[in-house]
Amino acid sequence: MKIFRRKKFESDMDAELRFHNSAYIDDLIRSGFDRTEAERRARIAFGPIEATKDECRQAWGLQRMDEVRADLRLTFRALRNNPGFAAIAILSLALGIGANTAVFGLVDAVILRLLPVRDPSQLVFVETAGTAGRDGPPYPYFELLRDEAKSFEAIAAFSPSNMEIVIDGGRELARGVWVSGNFYQMLGAAPVIGRTLAASDDQTPGKGGPDGAVAVISRAYWQQRFGADPAVVGRVVHMMFDFEHTVTIVGVMPSEIMSPELGRPIDIAVPMMLSDPVKMRDRVSLWLEIVARLKPAVRTEQAHAECNALFQAYMADVRIPPEVHTMLYDHVELTPAAKGLGGLRTQFLQPLTAMTILAGLVLLAACVNVANLMLARAAACQKDFAVRLAIGAGRDRLIRQTLTEALVLVGAGAALGILLARQGQAALAAFFAQGNNKIVLDLSMNGRMLLFTLTVAVLSGLAFGILPALRASRSDPGAGLQSGSRSIAGNRVSRRLGHALVISQVALSTVLLAGAGLFIRSLRQLELVDLGFTREGILTLEVTPERQMFGKLEWLTVQAEILDRVRQIPGVRYASWATMTPLSGRDRGAILDIPGFVPRTEKDKDVHLAALSPGYFETFGVPLLLGRVFTSRDDATASKVAILNETAARFYFGNTNPIGKNVRFANYPGHDLVYEIIGVVKDAKHDSLREQPSRFIYIPIPQSVDRINRLALAVRCTGDVVTFVAPVRQEVHSVRSTVLINNVSTIEKQVQQSLTRERLITALSTAFGALALVLACIGLYGTLAYAVTRRTNEIGIRMALGATRGGMIWLILREALTLAGSGIVIGLPAVLALARITKALLYGIEPFDLPTFASAVLLLLVFTAIAGFVPARRAGRLDPMSALRCE
Amino acid sequence: MKKQIDLVQGTLDMLILKAVSLGGLHGYGVLLRLRQLTGGQLQIQQGSLYPALYRLEHQGLIASEWGESENKRKAKFYTLTAAGRKQLKAETESWNRFSVVVAGVLNAIPEGS
Repeated sequence: MKIFRRKKFESDMDAELRFHNSAYIDDLIRSGFDRTEAERRARIAFGPIEATKDECRQAWGLQRMDEVRADLRLTFRALRNNPGFAAIAILSLALGIGANTAVFGLVDAVILRLLPVRDPSQLVFVETAGTAGRDGPPYPYFELLRDEAKSFEAIAAFSPSNMEIVIDGGRELARGVWVSGNFYQMLGAAPVIGRTLAASDDQTPGKGGPDGAVAVISRAYWQQRFGADPAVVGRVVHMMFDFEHTVTIVGVMPSEIMSPELGRPIDIAVPMMLSDPVKMRDRVSLWLEIVARLKPAVRTEQAHAECNALFQAYMADVRIPPEVHTMLYDHVELTPAAKGLGGLRTQFLQPLTAMTILAGLVLLAACVNVANLMLARAAACQKDFAVRLAIGAGRDRLIRQTLTEALVLVGAGAALGILLARQGQAALAAFFAQGNNKIVLDLSMNGRMLLFTLTVAVLSGLAFGILPALRASRSDPGAGLQSGSRSIAGNRVSRRLGHALVISQVALSTVLLAGAGLFIRSLRQLELVDLGFTREGILTLEVTPERQMFGKLEWLTVQAEILDRVRQIPGVRYASWATMTPLSGRDRGAILDIPGFVPRTEKDKDVHLAALSPGYFETFGVPLLLGRVFTSRDDATASKVAILNETAARFYFGNTNPIGKNVRFANYPGHDLVYEIIGVVKDAKHDSLREQPSRFIYIPIPQSVDRINRLALAVRCTGDVVTFVAPVRQEVHSVRSTVLINNVSTIEKQVQQSLTRERLITALSTAFGALALVLACIGLYGTLAYAVTRRTNEIGIRMALGATRGGMIWLILREALTLAGSGIVIGLPAVLALARITKALLYGIEPFDLPTFASAVLLLLVFTAIAGFVPARRAGRLDPMSALRCE
Repeated sequence: MKKQIDLVQGTLDMLILKAVSLGGLHGYGVLLRLRQLTGGQLQIQQGSLYPALYRLEHQGLIASEWGESENKRKAKFYTLTAAGRKQLKAETESWNRFSVVVAGVLNAIPEGS
């Protein structure tokens, strides 16, 4: 388009000037001149035609464009002539920019992005709070708030829950969410097809509304499970809630607004009224999330005061133990909901900070490297610049030329970097994989990411372009043209600049290498950590029976039968059931009252609770320290018994023997749940490899405090675990074909998975550290090779006066080591500062880890010595005679 | 032939605007009209006319259109735009003020003489 207009401009201008000329000639002829004379006079009267055209172009504002085009042409030609320089510069920039783009993608998805709903800043979460933290309020309080509160335009509730769905006769597990009928209308979410849920769908408990039981599904689920078939609207599926429901799918919603919980993908949303009516009437059960839209004029504090007043009134007639009250039901809090539920944010803040710093350092190293390369090139181009200045180029043109070169490099780097970032996305998504609860984030490229990349690219282009540009403008045409190549470039300022850049490269490498060392060491520590259980040869799978079996004796019989069958499989050594297995991401808490134990804070009563079948400790290889383990005789009718882990036993009973002592569960008002301690087992990791041992109490499954539905089956076998998956599955289904099996995994794999993040950070920092080291070596080599050329004459004189070759080698090598040493000295304090920031990511080592630092420094010294030795050897090989003659 | 006067810096634009304001003209026509209006007393390099025309058009003070000249040739015609009219008025006023002031100074009679 521009080019066409440009061509038209030129032809129009030609035509216009030609017309002028011929009209004048005609007039001259008319007044009596012959044609030749007329043409001559016309030429004189008009003046220099090309200069006029140029002035016209300038008057039209075209000159700028022409110059830019010339700069670009020159740059491309220069880069084509120096493919090595271009490749190294573009690659290192691509890595730096790509790393930053990718990390920014994570930061954007986790920390910056607002919910894609109408006016998200007006949304707040309403949560109950106490000394134990924040939680979702009970359903009756939601009803009270909905009917009474004046501060809100609308109030909605949701609660994520796995749901069983029967499609085409097969049972499947879907990631579901219970929502109040007005939920999506309040968020302002429009359906992709069909309709969204309405308040009228959520009227009658167990029934729904006028259309009966209805549900909406996410676009992702629609595409994956139903092949994006539009006929899904109106389709009837069966869902297992308390009893089987026939549910009609009425619409498909955008996946990202199915629930305001970050990173938790939801397949299907069902009105609250279809959920467990007992739970809905329960005045203390904490299972909801309430999200409300403030009226425009209402401030959060006002709304908070109102919610809290209503909550205190609500709690007035709820009878719970005072300690539970202060822990969980003390007051309500309002938190901004614009960015969704933020558990993920707090969880990933520190790793993300570390990654951001890491990526920033890599970009810095790339910029310094390119600046160094460009300076070296500028020195080589000095003569060229001098000539251009001498024949009248403006200094601003030279600055612009150099900056154009920088921006072209950075443009290519950014384009490649975006590609790299896209490729790295899979690895980065793994950053969020933890246990069974996969976190799924939308990491696709968006406008904000592109803007970020562009900003980073332009800023880094200016950062490394500005020094060489200023240097270029300062070239002195006189000196540049007179002298030979060495003396021009040898001026002191540019040399000092080069040295400063090499030093900062070494400093950056020091930081990255030492950081990588810290991460490697702490990963090693984590891999060697004592888990407290056996990691090899254990298969785990989760088994869920049909609804009808929940809480029934039949389920216990089925469990026992399955265990018997599985134990018959050749190669199976132990098998057992548990409500949760280590590193599965499942957890359950309880509150203990122990006669004779005086808690200092309410938290002292907290304990993790797991219900187990006999054989569990054998399966996991957890040693029994005192007393006995559970047997099949510890059933529902027998006296209640419990086992503590070491930490719990020491915490509650000190040095006294806990066997035979009683403990009581305090979080079940109305029940008198007293258990006798019969054994103590060794501590084992549960949630992560990093955690300090926490207090655990184990009870037999038949004596469980609450209904047990889903259970994990753990099978310890000899040989390859994977080969046992099919037979175990088969045995389970042969006992009961209708049970649901999912989350099949091995303990080994879960241990590996729990280290994904550490592994990723270690791999990244190692790769970045190695890259920075290589770049620093290139920079150092360049600087020294140049120094040798510059000092050829001096070396010749020294050798003529009797200096040895070794002395000459040392002369250059000393410069290398001085530069490297200065960089290291600058880098080490920076490492310490950074290590302190990333302390939370380290395990088993202190931020100041001498062996790590020593090996990083050694590595740097060895590599810089090698980089320095090549030019040094050249200095030693110089022939004194030719060196002297060289001028 | 009378001696020609050099153009005062910056006045060419003003003169072109004036010339064009009297009716649409092509570049050569501008030259002829200026010559006629000044009675040939101003020295104008023919080539310098065009950068000035382009500058004025780029500033939006005049507009151009291709048309046919008196002797049936393709030529680019310039007309004054509204903005150009305003500019011409403003420049005329300030020129008048300027020339009065300068003339007043130059015509001052020494005191006491």
